[in-house]
Amino acid sequence: SNRSSAAPPSDRPGERRAAEMKKLYGKDAAKILAMEAAMQLTFDRNCDRKQPKYWPVIPLKL
Amino acid sequence: SIPTSAGADTEQLLEEQHARSVLRERFLRCLLAMSNKKVHFRMHEKVNVEATFGASDIDVLNFQVSDLHTPIGVQKEALIRCHDVISLTFEV
Amino acid sequence: MQCGWLQSGPQLWLSCVHRQVMVKAQGEEHRGWLLTVDPVSRSVVLLDLRAEGASVRVVMGHAVEHVEVLQEADQETLERIRSFFVPQETLSLDP
Repeated sequence: SNRSSAAPPSDRPGERRAAEMKKLYGKDAAKILAMEAAMQLTFDRNCDRKQPKYWPVIPLKL
Repeated sequence: SIPTSAGADTEQLLEEQHARSVLRERFLRCLLAMSNKKVHFRMHEKVNVEATFGASDIDVLNFQVSDLHTPIGVQKEALIRCHDVISLTFEV
Repeated sequence: MQCGWLQSGPQLWLSCVHRQVMVKAQGEEHRGWLLTVDPVSRSVVLLDLRAEGASVRVVMGHAVEHVEVLQEADQETLERIRSFFVPQETLSLDP
């Protein structure tokens, strides 16, 4: 599966990411974060449901 | 630090953040516009394939696609590594 | 990647949106109207206008070697470009 496992609670990845987003996107951070979350959710859900395999199996370019 | 230069720095930062978010939003909308469209991929090693676009992860590392027409047949569900891709096109 | 344009950052990229650019990537040259540059992956998105319809080309950031700004869009072209993608942000772009 392509879904990453739940991060340890001590790590607080959500908060760290929100702070990074704020630095990059300022007042629009929440909007961009929401759009990205929706997109990633679609990607993860599709991967869970369809179980796609890499093509080509070996990367063309490393 | 001198207040005026700090003010100018802040303004510069705000403009840069604005530009970055406009560009990023436009890019995300473009990826969203691709879903369910037939997309042509030009890849390294002169590989050209077509597939129905599903979704991209947000770091633009993988594309999830369906009905991938490869030179050796059709793969119903596939992941394409973005690093294998040079460019992709779709009709609008 | 040895392109000054790509190193120049979001403000300059935004100022080039809707201009015609030429992108060189892995021996290929692509001309089109710049829709955006992804600030995360540096991928360049071009709109190719034809007599009927249009296509969008995304050139992956890692493959981009060179970007050259060719010309501004005239009013008619600008309206065609905007008719394909109309996020609200288009309105806040400088003319």
